[in-house]
Amino acid sequence: MIFSDLKNLGILGINNRVGRYILRHNKRANYPLVDNKVLTAQRAEAWGIPTPENYFIVENYGSLKNLHLKLMSYDSFVIKPARGSQGNGIIVIKEIIREERDGEIRILCRRSNDKLMDVEEVRHHISGILSGLYSLSGQSDIAIVQAKIDKHPIFDDYSFGGIPDIRVIVFEGFPVMSMVRLPTRSSDGRANLHQGAIGAGLNLSDGKTNNAVIRNQVVDIHPDTGHKLLGLRLPFWPEILELAARCYDMVGLGYLGADIVLTPDHGPILLELNARPGLGIQIANLAGLVPRLEKIRLEAPKDLLARERVAFSMKHF
Amino acid sequence: MKKLTVLITSLLIFIPLGVLVYKSQVLHLSLIPQMVDDVWNLHVNVKPKGSVYSFSFPLPRSAPGQRISDDKLRSRDYQIFVDRNSDSTMATWSSKSMITGRISYSARVDLKPISYQSIPKDYTETYPRGLDKYLKVPTLLAEDQEAIGALETAILEGSEDKTSLIRKIYYYVEEEIQRNTDIKTIHETLNVGKGSPLVKAKLFNIMARRKRVPSRIVVMVRMPEGKKAKEETKLHFTFANEVFLANKWIPVDTNRGHFGERPDGFLVIHRNYEEVEKIISKKRVSYSIQAERARINRYNKAEFKKEVIQSDSIFGKLSLYRLPLPIQTMFTTILLIPIGALILSIARNLIGIPTFGIFTPILLALFFRETSFGFGMLFFSVIVIIGIGERYVLDKFYLLAVPRLSIILTLIILLMLGYSFYSVEMTSFSHKHLAFFPIVIVTLIIERLSIMITEEGLVNTFKTLLGTLVIVVFVYSLFFISSLEMFMFTNPELLFTVMGLLILVGKYKGYRLSEFLRFRDLVRQKKKLESKSHDL
Repeated sequence: MIFSDLKNLGILGINNRVGRYILRHNKRANYPLVDNKVLTAQRAEAWGIPTPENYFIVENYGSLKNLHLKLMSYDSFVIKPARGSQGNGIIVIKEIIREERDGEIRILCRRSNDKLMDVEEVRHHISGILSGLYSLSGQSDIAIVQAKIDKHPIFDDYSFGGIPDIRVIVFEGFPVMSMVRLPTRSSDGRANLHQGAIGAGLNLSDGKTNNAVIRNQVVDIHPDTGHKLLGLRLPFWPEILELAARCYDMVGLGYLGADIVLTPDHGPILLELNARPGLGIQIANLAGLVPRLEKIRLEAPKDLLARERVAFSMKHF
Repeated sequence: MKKLTVLITSLLIFIPLGVLVYKSQVLHLSLIPQMVDDVWNLHVNVKPKGSVYSFSFPLPRSAPGQRISDDKLRSRDYQIFVDRNSDSTMATWSSKSMITGRISYSARVDLKPISYQSIPKDYTETYPRGLDKYLKVPTLLAEDQEAIGALETAILEGSEDKTSLIRKIYYYVEEEIQRNTDIKTIHETLNVGKGSPLVKAKLFNIMARRKRVPSRIVVMVRMPEGKKAKEETKLHFTFANEVFLANKWIPVDTNRGHFGERPDGFLVIHRNYEEVEKIISKKRVSYSIQAERARINRYNKAEFKKEVIQSDSIFGKLSLYRLPLPIQTMFTTILLIPIGALILSIARNLIGIPTFGIFTPILLALFFRETSFGFGMLFFSVIVIIGIGERYVLDKFYLLAVPRLSIILTLIILLMLGYSFYSVEMTSFSHKHLAFFPIVIVTLIIERLSIMITEEGLVNTFKTLLGTLVIVVFVYSLFFISSLEMFMFTNPELLFTVMGLLILVGKYKGYRLSEFLRFRDLVRQKKKLESKSHDL
């Protein structure tokens, strides 16, 4: 059969992911905890899981009126929809410029791609978020204005534009596979595989890159920086995995994707969670998920602490 | 749990199939109604020749083997008198001034062959007075009378009953008299043994009447065959006989060799040639008769309804054929939607064809069916173009989402207006169709399309559009398998089978065909690595 190769490699297909893992291990009632970033942040705070600091939340059009006063007190920020997906609707402002002209203070925002936006444009973008332009089902949404995260220096040669993030698939609390997503020029600085970011598989044992792909094709060097992709070793590796593993305890979803970023001074922090993580991670690692998932399902001991589960995963995968 | 699923699924799939077998094997019901493709549109145009104030022409009437409906007579200001009292219908037009115009008649004709397998022996001596005219032997030359008498002694010897007499006369005229259109009198025919079809019918008629069997010559037209059936073809009168045996008029055709049967495709216009001989002569009138097939692929629902109700089973009471006709028509289409959804499920979950929205392809296919393929494609392209253009134009205005959608909605309605003006002028499409398509859904399709273009890029969007189109075309062609349509309508219990199949699709945990492509590079790389490690 044409699928025998995929089966032998233990590749997880969409039908299998949904039917055997997501539907059986993820309770629908817990979805809002991951689909809504405001709820995720609240939960994370209660659990002591570090996340980017939320400056404020815009829930209705009325509060857009004195937006400029609120923004003036920050040097940089990120605007994102609470229920967005795949990084849509996210704007990163890296600098706020205050201009005084004829006694009036005017605020200009410099985006991460160096384009300038005035407050009116920022307001328009947020009202777009509120009206549900970026939320998955098109229902009305709320906007989060949160602290901008800086890039960890280790990624200087591996990333173009934006911040790389680390995706960890967590099954029943055990990390099973991981990759780092490196923004490129063609992904417009976003860490999104569909838009052409690099996906580099990471060994669970040591946090070293083992392979890299762009749009499902294997690559050796970063197309923009020219740097070799193999051999990158992430710092704070056990901490990253433990952070991901604790998210299982936090939201109670058996099959989970945790997106984690590395900050220069606070170590790993949780960016967002995903209840239906994609399957491209298998290509990035040149490995199938099924054997690992089944090993956890059949062999992993129950009732372990997050640290112990991480140890199990680092030993076996 | 797993056993339960298997049980439910197999019950869903097999019970309706069992019912199907029961219906056909035990109740002997047909699974779909019979096809009828012998319905014709008949057009007759008549114009009298010379200066007359009144003239007549025969019109067909319903009789065994032929059903006339929707008949229409169009004739300016002339008075019409339609005489239905005899065995045939005759229309007479009259006017105070001279008749110069043309009279036209049209009707829908439903033809069936008739056939009498066995005709009982007939010893009838006396007939009702109404049949007297069919027993009157025309006057013949003495010479011819003698010749016929000699023939009778030669071929009819030893026959006791009228049925076998007639059979022998038929065999003689059919086989011994060769067809020759130039020979047009009885006298000549008796001398040379050849005759035109009409003369053969006349000879048969005379010989039957001489033996005191009521007989007549019928005037018919034969429907065009093959390719000609689709276009209007001019028809000519043709002749055959009918004899009264065992209290029935039995058709006999000495030219085409039919005894006791009239094949499909013959329409009787008049049943007594003697009465219309002069009326239909080309000297008196000019006429043209045309016929074309009314509609192909029509199913005889009325017959089937009778069949189902007569079966006196639960299916008779639950049959959809009991519903009022407009609702029936609606359900013939609606019952195909679950099958379309099954195809959609297979395409998405087993093959992995990306589609736009979940049920959008089915909605579009319904729209295509409601209008036409060409128009559907045109409309679809317009949707795509608006979807592409929308973002570029409306983005400049910084509009909130709902007013923005409402603008697209309004734009669609404007387009419909424009199209209606166009179609009134062109009359190429029927514009009433547009109203059927839910405009609001189109609006949502456009918005989702434009979001997809910004989020996933043109290439991915066009892949998805292509996937959508493939399924639209597939489901659309499904709607045109009329036998499938009738099959589902006749046996709606099959919807449960569809549900069972949907459970099977839903339970499929294997790979999608598209994943074979998606992970192709992974497999290749992995194999490369493996062969390298083997080399080491």
